[in-house]
This record gives sequence, structure tokens and C-alpha cells, in this order.
Amino acid sequence: MPSGGPPAVARNVALGGVLAVVAVLVVLPVLRLAAVLWWEGGDLHRILASAAVGEAARNTVLLAVGVTGAAVPIGVVMALTLRRPDLPGRTFWRVAVLAPLVVPDFVLGYSWTQAYARAGFTDTALGWHWAGLLGPRGVWLVLVVNAAPLVYLVVAVGLAARAEPDGELAARVSGAGRVTALRTVTLPLLGPAVAAASVLVFVLTLGTFAIPQVLGTPAGFSTLTTRIYAGLSIGGDPASFLEAVLLALVLVLVAAACVAPADALLGPRLRTTRPADVQAAQVVPGPAAMRRAQATGLAGYLFLTTALPLAALSLASVTRALGVAPTPANWSLEHFRQVLTPRTLEALGRSLTLSVVAASLLVLLGALVAVGERRRSGRAMGTLVVLTLVLPGSTLAVALLITYGRWLSGSLVLILLAYLAKLWAVAHRPIAGALDRLPADELFAARASGAGPLTAVRTVALRPMAPALLGAWLICFLTALHEVTMSSLLYGSGGETLAVVVLNAQELGRVGPSAALSVVLALLVAVPALALWWAARWARARGVARTAMSPREVPGVR
Amino acid sequence: MSVEPVLEVVDLVVVYDGTTALHGVSLSVAPGEVLALLGPSGSGKSTLLHAVAGFLVPSGGTARLGGTPVAGNGRPVPPEKRDLAVVFQNYALWPHLSALDTVAYPARRRGVSREQSRREALELLDLLRIAHLADRRPAELSGGEQQRVGLARALARRPSLYLFDEPTAHLDAHVRDVFLQELVARRRGTGAAGIYATHDAEEALGLADRVALLRDGRLVQVGTPQQVYEEPVDLFAARLTGPASVIDAPDGAGRLLVRPGWARLGGPLEGRLRAVWFRGPHSDHLLDTAAGEVLVRQPGPPRHPVGACVGWTLVRSWPLAG
Repeated sequence: MPSGGPPAVARNVALGGVLAVVAVLVVLPVLRLAAVLWWEGGDLHRILASAAVGEAARNTVLLAVGVTGAAVPIGVVMALTLRRPDLPGRTFWRVAVLAPLVVPDFVLGYSWTQAYARAGFTDTALGWHWAGLLGPRGVWLVLVVNAAPLVYLVVAVGLAARAEPDGELAARVSGAGRVTALRTVTLPLLGPAVAAASVLVFVLTLGTFAIPQVLGTPAGFSTLTTRIYAGLSIGGDPASFLEAVLLALVLVLVAAACVAPADALLGPRLRTTRPADVQAAQVVPGPAAMRRAQATGLAGYLFLTTALPLAALSLASVTRALGVAPTPANWSLEHFRQVLTPRTLEALGRSLTLSVVAASLLVLLGALVAVGERRRSGRAMGTLVVLTLVLPGSTLAVALLITYGRWLSGSLVLILLAYLAKLWAVAHRPIAGALDRLPADELFAARASGAGPLTAVRTVALRPMAPALLGAWLICFLTALHEVTMSSLLYGSGGETLAVVVLNAQELGRVGPSAALSVVLALLVAVPALALWWAARWARARGVARTAMSPREVPGVR
Repeated sequence: MSVEPVLEVVDLVVVYDGTTALHGVSLSVAPGEVLALLGPSGSGKSTLLHAVAGFLVPSGGTARLGGTPVAGNGRPVPPEKRDLAVVFQNYALWPHLSALDTVAYPARRRGVSREQSRREALELLDLLRIAHLADRRPAELSGGEQQRVGLARALARRPSLYLFDEPTAHLDAHVRDVFLQELVARRRGTGAAGIYATHDAEEALGLADRVALLRDGRLVQVGTPQQVYEEPVDLFAARLTGPASVIDAPDGAGRLLVRPGWARLGGPLEGRLRAVWFRGPHSDHLLDTAAGEVLVRQPGPPRHPVGACVGWTLVRSWPLAG
């Protein structure tokens, strides 16, 4: 190739740089994890054989299976319902179903206790509470509510970006009824998206920490992640430290064992070429009564799972004291005054700084890999980075701690490293996706018009990529802002992030202040999330403008 | 004896996203007839077909298929209960089904056994000369092969009405013959008809028994191909149906349409040859004349150089309204 890209030297340097960062952030720490066990682990067998560890492992796997089994059908039904243009209030519902993603998961879990647990909202108002909320069933249910929007997102994208938008119309006009068309065409074509969503939920549930910690630990329900947290919290006990390290390794092995076959099976199907001019599938209008019933069902689900708990949380944050009726007469901002101490504000500052720095670096790293993997030599990079998504946060935190803790223990840099390693794939995905959708011909056209490689990217690629870059930044920022799995293991005294402060307050059981802090954190996340939503709308409006002249409409294209 | 039309649409209005895509369109299609819907993009061709197929619910007017109301009278009939088949723009083949299973699909929905429906599908594929591709999926088929699978699926539905939603490529000669023969064969039975949406005048005039011209969601003219070509109702219809020169009438009363074959070189009128194109069997000469530009089509190669003053004769013309 005479001048097909940057010189080979530059490419190799970039590739080497990425590999070095992956080695520092992920490979080295995980190897060190194994090494520690190898050299120091005398009693590994005993730890693994202990009943408590066995139970935690069993709980973790059962929880992952149970959450996947429930969240996937809910998310698929949501996606199928919300794509109907004639659904009453569709625009609102499409945003509303994503609310659980915007609220930090432990805040959602905590809000459920404020709504449905003893002395919660329903107990005060109706004299009813759900005794099982604190315990396995409560953990399962809240995790399902938390994961369903994720499934919805993945499946909705699968539905919207369809190479063959008229497939369902063709089925209907070939004689298939609504249900038959769903069974024979829609669902088989959704297979890869549903499978991808299932793997994602399964892996995320394996590594989930906050909700089991908030709802499970008080009831004696433990998972691998909560045991790791407990093991590391008991400072200075070598045995529990060793157990935590071992469990971290077990966790990553379980995750890898589940994901490797799924990726091998699904990978090629998921990575099939995405056509540049994908269109949303058109759907046949159905009876209005059914649409109304669907909207009502959706409203009921969202009210019970999200709106009521968050309202109860807000009420708890402004109600003077526990046990007092949550009426306006008893409202005050006392809890907010109490929690908004200089220490909290410092934590807030740390959180914001960390999140901004992490998001900015992550967009850079994500873009680097997205561009690099378009070359054959760089394809492995993408795979390697996606693997970090599978790495449970607890494992990563422990691995980073034992590798770099000696120099960085308790410092924000360690947390930053953890964020970078954990969220790299999160930043990489949308950027790589946008890059894939960018027709290669557009870049070639720029090159053929006299632009160098960098100029071509700047003048032709950057504008259409801007929404994806912004989206990646915001997602990283938000995720970093409410991350607790790793932060709670890595923070040093006086170096907490805001999310850790909230989690600790919840553990101390101070209801009012915890609720107030949770509201602050939720708002802190909700505001940028709204910005993200606006950015997405803007991108879509631009996307529509871009594809308004679809081949269908251009007379010359036949 | 009056025959029940296969399709009868009266005052059909379609509004979506706040814009009116069809403003009260009325037309009917007789058994055995092929109607071409000719119009520029955005004129409402696809919208009309989608409303007939049941993919859209019209906000006004009625549609009847074989005398049975399907839209506008109470609850709309869903697509699967309408006696029609659609050949989609990009063929809408299902990525997960082989050509054979795709074509067997309509028969399966009628309740035919898997074996029997596959046998019938193979016959249809054979008719379209693609039986050897039966096991392939859409991704492994060329555009022309996909078109044949799409048509075979429509044929397998055995409908009374075929809708062609601007197929991306012209039907090739064989495919067109198979389709027209099917219509003839069915005419003796219940009588099948077709509606073919296109923005290509040549295709519309060559394929259809009647042509309906659409503009901005309104019918401009309906007639035989010859009628719409030779006697267009206005300038828009004239331009839509083929190359058109418009000159001032010699008596000063309005404007005249002159098709390329309606004038010839040599004669009493004067003009200057502005451009000339050799087209193989004939050559097109663009003349600047006192009445305006005239395109003259003449058999054989160009006879005069560009810039030459030539004589010409107006053989025929059509007065344009407006």
C-alpha cells in the first residue's frame, strides 16, 4: 500500500502504547493476583472448601442466573412495546424506562427500603411492608429492575438498526398474524441482541456489589463481592485478606468461564457488518385498546419499581425524623444541612475531579483503540479491551491494590487507574460503533479530494463522530460518579468519593441523612444524564437529517 | 356485465407525522390489469401502496379489495387478512431464512404442511430459474436473485392483487414474463391484478395497462400509457412521462408539447443546432428555434455539425393546458 495510512512506525508505536497501558492496568495486576496466591497461599484449599465461601459463590451464580432470567424477558417486552409509534406517551416512556440506569444502583436499592421495608413509605401509609426485601429475594428483584433497562437498550438498538426494516411487514403480508410474525421473524432476528444482553446482564450481576451490600448483607446474604469487601474491610487480618484475593480470582475465573464460550458463539454474529443506512423497522398498526393496555402496564411497572421508591427516598430526605408522618408539616431541610458538611463537599469535589479526568482520558483511550482496531494488526486490541468489561470491579480493585498499593495506597490515582481499566470498554464501544457506521467511502472521498489522513478525519469524520464522543464521555463520567464497587475498596481515609460517603452513611443506618445524600448523588447524576439525553436527541435529529435523502428517495439510485 | 374491481380506493387520505401524504386519492384496478403508479419521490406512491397493504391506517376514505371493505369502514383489516402480496423496494427478505423457506413461508401460514409448502416453493423458484439457490440466505444472493426470491414469495401467496413498491432494480425480461403470465393465468380463474410503483416513465409505460400519475399526494391523470404520453393534462404530466419540448403555438394561443419523434429535420421552419447526441439507432438534435427549444429525434447518425442552421418540420403537437 503506497500511502494507505500513517507510517508503519507510528502505527506500531500506537499499538505498543495501547498494549502497554492494558498491561499496566489489567494484565500485570491480575497476574500479580495469581502470584500472591501462588507464593503465599498455603490454605487455599481450606478457604475454598469453607461453607461460607461456598455459599457466597453459590449465591453469586444463582443470583446471576435468576437476574438474567427475569431481566431479559422484561427488557425485551419493553423494547417491543416501546417501538410502536402509536403507543400513547411513547416519547415520555422511552426516557422514563431508563431512569433506573441514571440512579446509582445502591441509591435505587436504598430507595426500595424507604418505600417497601419496615417503617418505609407503604408501612407508614398503608401498614404494609415486604419482609423479604432485605434478603435474597429483595436483592434479586432490585437487580432485575436495575438490569431491565440495560436489556431494553441493547434490544432496542438491535430493533432500530435493522438491515432489513420491512421484514415484519413482509411476514404480515405473507399471511402471518401478529404473534406468528413475532415468533417467526422478529424474535429470531433479535436472537443475537438478546444473547448479547443476556451475557452482559449475567456478567454484570456476577460482579455487582452495591445492591447485595445494601439489601443482602444486613440479612446475612453474602455474595463473592460482598465477601471480598468484608475481607478487605477487616484491616490487617492476613487470613481474610488472602480470602479476598482468592475470591477475586475465583470471580474472574467464573466470569471468564461463562463469557468465553458465549463470545466464541456470538462474537462473529454480533460483529457482522453494520450497513451504513440502517433503518428502524416499520411496524403494522394494531388495535388502540392494546396500546392503551400496554401503556398502562408500563406505567404501573415504572410506578412500583422506580417512581414510588424514588419518591419515598425524597420524602425520607425531607422528613424531620424517622417514624414521623411524611406530610408537609413535618418537612425540613435539616438532613441536607446536616450532610452537606465541608467533608461531603470535599468528597463531591474529589468525585467530580476524578470523573472528569477519567472520562476525558477514557474517550482518548477508547478512540485510540477504535481507530487502531480498524487495522488488521490492531484487531486483537479491541477484543482485549472488551475483556476488561468482564473483569469484575472487585477483582480489578484487589489486583490493583496488591500491585500498586505499596506506592499509591489510599490515593486518588489508584481509583483513577481502576476507573480507566474498568470503563475503557464502556468508552470504546460507542466510539467504535460510530466509526463502523461511518462509511469508509466518505474518508476515501476526502483522501481522493486531496486531504491527508489527519485532515480527512478532522474534516469528514469528526463532525458525525461528535455525538458518539460526547456520549462516551458522559457515560464514563456518570458511571465514574456513582461507582462504589472499586472506590469502596480503594479509598484511603479522608479520600472518599461522594458515592462512598453515601454508601457508608447507609451502612451506619442514619435514615434521614442517608436519604438526603442519596438524593444529592441522584441529582448530581440526573443532571448530566439529562444533558446526555439531549445530546442523543440532537444526534438523532442530525442523523435523521443525514439520512433524509435515503436511497429510496433519490431518483438516480436504482 | 360489470366486473367487480380487484381494488377500489375512494377519497383515500393519509396523514402521518402531521403532514398529509395523500389528499383524497380515488382509483380502481380491474382483474388482469397492471396499473403503474408513476410519480417523483415523495409523491405518495409508497404511501398509497402501504395504505392498500394495511401497513398504514388511512385517516379518511375507503379501500375495498374484491368488493370487501378493508379500510375506512370500522376496524381496519390487518395485512395478513388482505388478499394481496407485496414485492418490497429492497425485497425485504428475512436474513435468517433460506430462499426455499422464504418462499414456503406464505403457504406455511395458510396451514400447508412443511413438506408440501417447500415442494411448492421449489416449483416457484424453478419457474424463476433459481431453484439451484434454494438453500442460500439473502446475504449470499445477488440483487437480481433477491428480486426473484421476493417475487416468488409474492407468487406463493396466490393473491388477487400484487403490489410492487418501487423495486430497486427493473424487473428483467424473464421475471417480467413470469409475472405477466401469472396474471394471465389467474385472469381465467379469479382474476389477479398488479400495481407497480415507479418513478421511471419508460418502465411504467412499457409494463402497465394503465398509468396513474401522482404528484404531492394527488392523482394528476389516469390513462393508458399512450394517453398519458401523447395527451398529458399539463406540463408536469408531460415532463413526468418522457422527454418533452415545449414551444409557443404558432397562432400565439398557448404552448405546445412536442415529443422527440414529433418533429423531423428538413423543412420550412428554421433553427440552429445547439447540441447533438448520437444514441445508436437514432440521434437527438437540440434545436434553438423562434418558438423555443425543440428536441428532434432522427434515425441514423448526426447529419449536421453543432452550430449549423437547419430546416425542420413540426409533424405533430399537443396543446398544453395552463
